[in-house]
Amino acid sequence: MAYSQGAYGGQPMAGGAPAGPFSQPVDPVIQQWFVSVDQDRSGQISTSELQQALTNSNWSRFNEETCHLMIGLFDRDMSGTINLGEFQALWTYIQQWKGVFDQFDRDRSGFIDANELNNAYTQMGYRLSPAFSSMVVFRYDPQFRRQLSLDNFIQSCVLLKTITDTFRQKDAQAQGVINVGYEEFLSMVMLNRH
Amino acid sequence: MAYQQQQGPPDQNFLWGVFQRVDKDRSGQISTQELGQALSNGTWNPFNPETVRLMIGMFDRDSSGTINFQEFSSLWKYVTDWQNCFRGFDRDNSGSIDKNELQQALTAFGYRLSDSFYSLLVRKFDRQGRGVIVFDDFIQCCVVLQTLTAAFRQHDTNQSGWITIGYEQFLSLVFNVKA
Repeated sequence: MAYSQGAYGGQPMAGGAPAGPFSQPVDPVIQQWFVSVDQDRSGQISTSELQQALTNSNWSRFNEETCHLMIGLFDRDMSGTINLGEFQALWTYIQQWKGVFDQFDRDRSGFIDANELNNAYTQMGYRLSPAFSSMVVFRYDPQFRRQLSLDNFIQSCVLLKTITDTFRQKDAQAQGVINVGYEEFLSMVMLNRH
Repeated sequence: MAYQQQQGPPDQNFLWGVFQRVDKDRSGQISTQELGQALSNGTWNPFNPETVRLMIGMFDRDSSGTINFQEFSSLWKYVTDWQNCFRGFDRDNSGSIDKNELQQALTAFGYRLSDSFYSLLVRKFDRQGRGVIVFDDFIQCCVVLQTLTAAFRQHDTNQSGWITIGYEQFLSLVFNVKA
């Protein structure tokens, strides 16, 4: 099911994905954003600065873990912060995730349910079962509403991307199945924790 | 609460008193937030919120996201058991355990893991960036390890120490380990 076409998914949004954090000239609009988010004028954006800048559609702030995860995606030097070029790459990702989310949040409630989540994953190129999406909603909805807000959705997408990358590295022949020993298995999972 | 001295099993009156103090909004239920405010890890930093969620999840039988008095009593015993265990391995009474002490603790639990893996564990569970693990992070580390080992064992039917696992199964495993 997940591998019916020998692909992993995770390369969605053809044409829109950033080629790399440093490869594009910085958009002046993003530069302005960067300056307003970088409150301590350090030239770097931290998790808490990012958190203050992002809101869900009901105006609640993004949860800290999602911001931490997003910074971790682009923070190459493990400083816990990102620079302007990295911010631009992250910004592109956030816009794409938000685009997918809004498309499936038909009633503009600010939430998507398990069914809609499954369709969103499919659109992003992942082939995952409805049971998987239900499990994700159960795990990522801290208020037990059986729905995900934008930050929870992004959190799941970041994890999905990093775990898929880890799995793909191990699955050289792209068979969708890996053979792994105990400690390596533990390490693969632990490295995906942030 | 986590660092109070105690002799013998706590009696119900004592626990009821604690429960009422923790239940700030007098709802008869303790939320993740209330529990987090009541627990101490021996530092001035707040108790690890993931450990709190992990523990509420363990004892919250009716999936309400909160725990009642009875569930709280079980949780109390769980925390004090971990506390005694932690103290036993914190040989120098520093309030934290270093990589060697962690290795001794987990070896005593029956784990056989390499030196580099213990370095990874300390790096991943040390929230304070001091190279050591404090009480709440220790609980989280042990519960995560326990959960992952149980999951691995389920797939390792012939006990060879190797498993063959598919993409979605692997994804589900990692997502489930999240507190």
